[in-house]
Formats: sequence, C-alpha cells, structure tokens
Amino acid sequence: MFVIELAGIRIGIDNRYSFIERQCYGFVCEGTDVAFTVSVTSDEILEEQKHGEFSEGYCESICIYRHICEQLPAYNIFLMHSSVIEVDGYAYAFTAKSGVGKSTHTALWLKNVPNARVLNGDKPLYRLEKDGSLTAFGTPWNGKENWGENISAPLAAICFIERGIENRITPAQESDVIGRLMHQLYLRGSRQSVTQQLVLMDALVRAVPYYVLECNVSDEAALLAWNTMRKS
Amino acid sequence: MQINQDFTIQKVGASYVAVPIGEASKSFRGMIQLNETGAFLWKLMAEKDCTEEELVEAMLAEYDVSREIAAADVHAVVETLKNSKLFI
Repeated sequence: MFVIELAGIRIGIDNRYSFIERQCYGFVCEGTDVAFTVSVTSDEILEEQKHGEFSEGYCESICIYRHICEQLPAYNIFLMHSSVIEVDGYAYAFTAKSGVGKSTHTALWLKNVPNARVLNGDKPLYRLEKDGSLTAFGTPWNGKENWGENISAPLAAICFIERGIENRITPAQESDVIGRLMHQLYLRGSRQSVTQQLVLMDALVRAVPYYVLECNVSDEAALLAWNTMRKS
Repeated sequence: MQINQDFTIQKVGASYVAVPIGEASKSFRGMIQLNETGAFLWKLMAEKDCTEEELVEAMLAEYDVSREIAAADVHAVVETLKNSKLFI
C-alpha cells in the first residue's frame, strides 16, 4: 500500500504488483491519511488481460485507475480521455477518436508553439472549481508515449480533432459538443457517481470555448489551432 | 412501453443526457441525447408502462401543440428508443 495525490486528493493504492509503484513515481506522498483506498481482485486483472497480451502489473494499473475515476466525481473531479498541453500557465485540451492523431498533433505543438509542454498525453483529470472554471491535472496514466508531468493549469479551451486535407478550425455548437464528449468521458460506476459525472458534464460544456479542428500533419495545423485557441 | 430502470438522466447544457448504469451498461454503451420533449416522454416511460396514445395525451396536457405534431413527436422518440433496445 502506498499513497498518491491526484488533483489534490490523497488516494491509497493497495497493490499486488510493483508496476504501478514505478508508474506513480512523482505522485507518491507521505502519510496514511487518504480520501479513499482502491484495490483490484485477481478476477478483474484476468478479465482485463482478455483485451490483449499485457502483464498482470499493467492490467492492475488500468483497473486501479478505473476504480479511482469512479470515486472522483464525488470530489468534483473527472477523467476525460484527451491530450493536454500547457503553454504559459494555461491548459489546452485535444480530444479525438482513437487513432485520429492526438499524439501527432500534440507533437506538432511541441515543435511549433514556444513554451509548450505536455501536461498529460492521454488520461488527465479535470476539477470543477467554485467559480465554474476547470483545472487540468497531470496523472501517472499518460499514454504509450509517456508524455506528462505532475503539474496543473486552468483549462483555456477544448478542441476536437478530425483528419482533413486542408486545415480548418471552427467553433463547435453545444449539442455537437455533447455528442462528441460522450465518447471521451468515463461514465461508469454507481448511479450516484454517474449522475454526478453528468452534473460535471453540464459544467464542462459551459466552462470553455470548444472548437473542431480538421487538420493534416503540418506545422500550420498546430499554429492555426494555437492562434485560435490561445488565451491572451 | 416502459424504459429500463438502469439509466440516469440529467440536463446537460440545453439537452438531456441518459446514461446506462449497472447491468444496462453492459448491453448499451454510450449515452442518449434528448431534447426537452424527449426527456419529458422519457420520464413518463421510466415511471410506468405507457402506450403511445397515453404519451400523446400527456404531451397535449403539457405543451401547446396540435395532436398531429404531438403524435409525430411521440412516435419519433418511441422508435428511437425501440431501436436502441431501451424498453423492458
């Protein structure tokens, strides 16, 4: 058992395999005072292994994060599958269907946007603040590229990425935003937890501007997105 | 028609969103986005088993619409939910 701090919440992890301890390096904290503790059963790990040839330790880590994300809505925190880039103190989030090119676009920002760094490349957390704004937080679960840091930043905008021949960015309408977000939020857990996740989703659709970016793999794609989304 | 109880429905922005919980989440993945009328009908069908005629009457009592429009709206919502296999 060890303790990590995610989005300001101290969480106990009762693990069987050492994989997750190495993964959580940088998020571990001292003491035993926690908001909640998570553990997984060997059955859950076996079930997870059916999805591919992954180690027990890796599968345990996936299951643990899932359990954590089912608890977090009670603390006004939620997971959104996305890539978050931090530039000059603000967070810019990108989301897309699997395989569309979040990572490729993220790499283009790192190359073209001064001071850009990845907050989390895959599974960041977002916290709803009292004033209705959102803060993005890094987590140890950051995708196969392993891009991310234990940092946080106020969220400035969210962009849905699609592949295009030309680069084009347009504001997204609310009903379209809801349909697109549903693929990226983790809507699992108890009735209470899922209902609270929807309450947070209501705040999420109001909190920031949304864009749809149709893009190719070019420096111009990143510069167009940055110049449109940037918070002055 | 009665809707499976294993759903939670909430207002999200100007829409309503219904998400499966527990057992229902294993057979239905994702969520359903409804407008105001759709959510009104959803709530009636979640409470009890009702026919299309009963839903049309409920709509006429709640909204200032013609019987024709109410019947068309009810039919559209019922068909959508039927296609998503959301009835018990």
